[in-house]
Amino acid sequence: MTSTLEAPAPAADLRPRPVRRGPRNGPLILLLLGPSMLLIAAFIVLPALYSVYLSMTNTQLTGFAARDPQFVGLDNFTYLLTNGDFLSSLGQTATFTLFSAIIGQTVLGMVAAILLSRPWLRGKGVFGAAVLLPMIVPEVVASLAWASVLSNNSEGTLNRLTSLFGADSTDWLQVAPLTAIIVVNIWRGVAFAMIMFQAALEDVPAELIEAARIDGARAVQVFRHVTLPLIRGPVFLYLLLTTISTVSVFGLVYFLTQGGPGGQTRIAAIYIYERALQFSQIGIGSAASIILLVIVLVLGMVYVRLAKVEV
Amino acid sequence: MKRNRTLSVALTTVVAAAGLTACSAGGGSDDGPVTITIMEYQQTRIDIVEELIPGFEAEMAEQGRDITVDLVADQLTDEQFRTKITQQFIAGEAPDLVDMGDSFVPGFAGAGYLAPLDDYLEDWDGWDAYRPQFKEASVRQDGQIYSLLNTSGVLNLFYREDVLTELGVDTSQPETWDELIDRLVQVKEATGDTPIVLPAGSAWGGGTWNEGFQPLLGGTDQDYYDAETGTWDLESPGWAAVFDLYAELAAEDLLPTQDLLNPNPWQPTKYEKFPAGEIQVAAQGTWGWKFDWGPEGATPIPDLTEKVSTWQFPGLRDGDEPYGWLNLGGVYTIPEASDHKDEAMLLAQYLTTGEPLAEQLVASGAASPRDDISDVEPYASEPELLQAGVDQETSVFVPTGDGTDQIAQAVATATELVLTGAEDGEGAYRAFVEDATELLGPSLVKQ
Repeated sequence: MTSTLEAPAPAADLRPRPVRRGPRNGPLILLLLGPSMLLIAAFIVLPALYSVYLSMTNTQLTGFAARDPQFVGLDNFTYLLTNGDFLSSLGQTATFTLFSAIIGQTVLGMVAAILLSRPWLRGKGVFGAAVLLPMIVPEVVASLAWASVLSNNSEGTLNRLTSLFGADSTDWLQVAPLTAIIVVNIWRGVAFAMIMFQAALEDVPAELIEAARIDGARAVQVFRHVTLPLIRGPVFLYLLLTTISTVSVFGLVYFLTQGGPGGQTRIAAIYIYERALQFSQIGIGSAASIILLVIVLVLGMVYVRLAKVEV
Repeated sequence: MKRNRTLSVALTTVVAAAGLTACSAGGGSDDGPVTITIMEYQQTRIDIVEELIPGFEAEMAEQGRDITVDLVADQLTDEQFRTKITQQFIAGEAPDLVDMGDSFVPGFAGAGYLAPLDDYLEDWDGWDAYRPQFKEASVRQDGQIYSLLNTSGVLNLFYREDVLTELGVDTSQPETWDELIDRLVQVKEATGDTPIVLPAGSAWGGGTWNEGFQPLLGGTDQDYYDAETGTWDLESPGWAAVFDLYAELAAEDLLPTQDLLNPNPWQPTKYEKFPAGEIQVAAQGTWGWKFDWGPEGATPIPDLTEKVSTWQFPGLRDGDEPYGWLNLGGVYTIPEASDHKDEAMLLAQYLTTGEPLAEQLVASGAASPRDDISDVEPYASEPELLQAGVDQETSVFVPTGDGTDQIAQAVATATELVLTGAEDGEGAYRAFVEDATELLGPSLVKQ
């Protein structure tokens, strides 16, 4: 294929220029934004700042040390960044996020969105509902359902299926715990990806697709060279959102494995919970949270930067 | 001017009235109506305390006190309870009387969340009936008492006598761990089972230390904690010996390592395989007779006393004798922030006296920390519990103080290394020392 496609003019150019608001709108803006700013300050900014303070102390929740916390500077950060358990939890978080969110949810969500955009597909309602169902099920219910599916006894759904082929019962959460929670997280998150990509695909001009086909492009080529560049923004936005939400996944993993066996699924959120609340070391737990926050911020900036690359 | 004066008088009156009201609400020591709260987090104890509360309210009414008790029933695991009550202590929102495991007390008392009970106990006749070893063990590192025992017992090895007899394995008291391991190997070869469960690893939470490691350690070495200096001796020889024992049991495939690594490891081990006879030996407290395997327990074993019996822990090192481990079970504590300490203490005293105590002991499957209720029904009709009460006299116990939580954490992590096969006994001990030294800090480690 030698022809080149010109991308449509950016939508922003076609929109009327926004009218510059005068200073007299200031009180109205303050009235509209004030309450949410106050709430954000009270429930997000201040706790986050307090967390930063805690991360520089040896605060504990129990024991004599709890009575008189001391300022320890960056000691907690030094400790964590040289601590094998914490670094291992970061590695597991990266693996979990990469395979469940960045690869699994994104690819399957895209496939589902493309399928749903096909005019020939019948039963779209049922298919869409089936994909959406995991997203609306409460986290605890989803966890319990998967605990039943992956149960180690012969009554477990997966073991029932494998027994049809003569296999013995397997303790899936023991044998492949990380894979198991990756699969569960893909199952749970694919609906959100599908919704985002479906909306993005609807904005792709049909004439461009048509033109590419007339030029002889195969379906894969159309997707690679026409569709994907045009939906790059929503794709990166989704990657940003899913990365943030997956890095902070806690309930799903805690209910299924509690970080075990042998710490094989101790992702960062579980590590922070253990340190801060189970072992009462709120100072170290806060420092771990701050490190995780910085990592997510860096990832976010990378995504934003990538999303702005011209097509 | 007159109007201003009237206004100021009215304001003064309102402020004064508000002040008096506040004083009245906060004092909590007058004889007016008072509502206090008590927290229970285990279903068995929720049920029994709920039954006992009307008796307390009636007794108080007879004494002319109008006290109402609200039961805060919140079924939780030990770790969930610990997390939740810690937040409540910090927020000053904990119930007036909190029933918890004794092992939680050093951490909470150290942090200043609990009220000292010494003055109350000095003025209470019931305290004289408490066995001396429990009174001694209740004194914390700062010399004060923050808890009132409501249940106690002895940790031993419970074994399936029916299964071992059928297999032709000796059921007499093993004198040493070597002797017991030989028998366990026999069982394993005959059945293919992993025959013994000792709490280990992170998934068992605080139980790994309280119900597994510490009883083994305390039986062979009582110098690992120095109560006078409040420091932990990490070089005391018992530590390495216990890690070696865990490693040997794991290496011989005698421990159900996979089950121990899973969440809620007590479920497949104590609640499934032991009742099924597929685990034949379990480290277990007196509560096993009721709470775990009794007719009303979590997983009843029919004809329990005919099928199950107990050994003392065998000696671990040369010269060690078999022993039981004294278990300080549950305690009542009063938060420092409570507005109704006096009334909460009255409730605690009521629940740890006579028939209310006897009923709790039977419901929980515990021995009595007091020596004056052996003839009080329904406790008097429970031979296993009565025997445990007698065994308490000769059982071993090593009181510990600040740093228990950190030690428990380091032990859990190090035993997990054994379970996963990442380390042998020596390696696990080294990892433990490194971890514990870091967690405790220099002030809590004996130099």
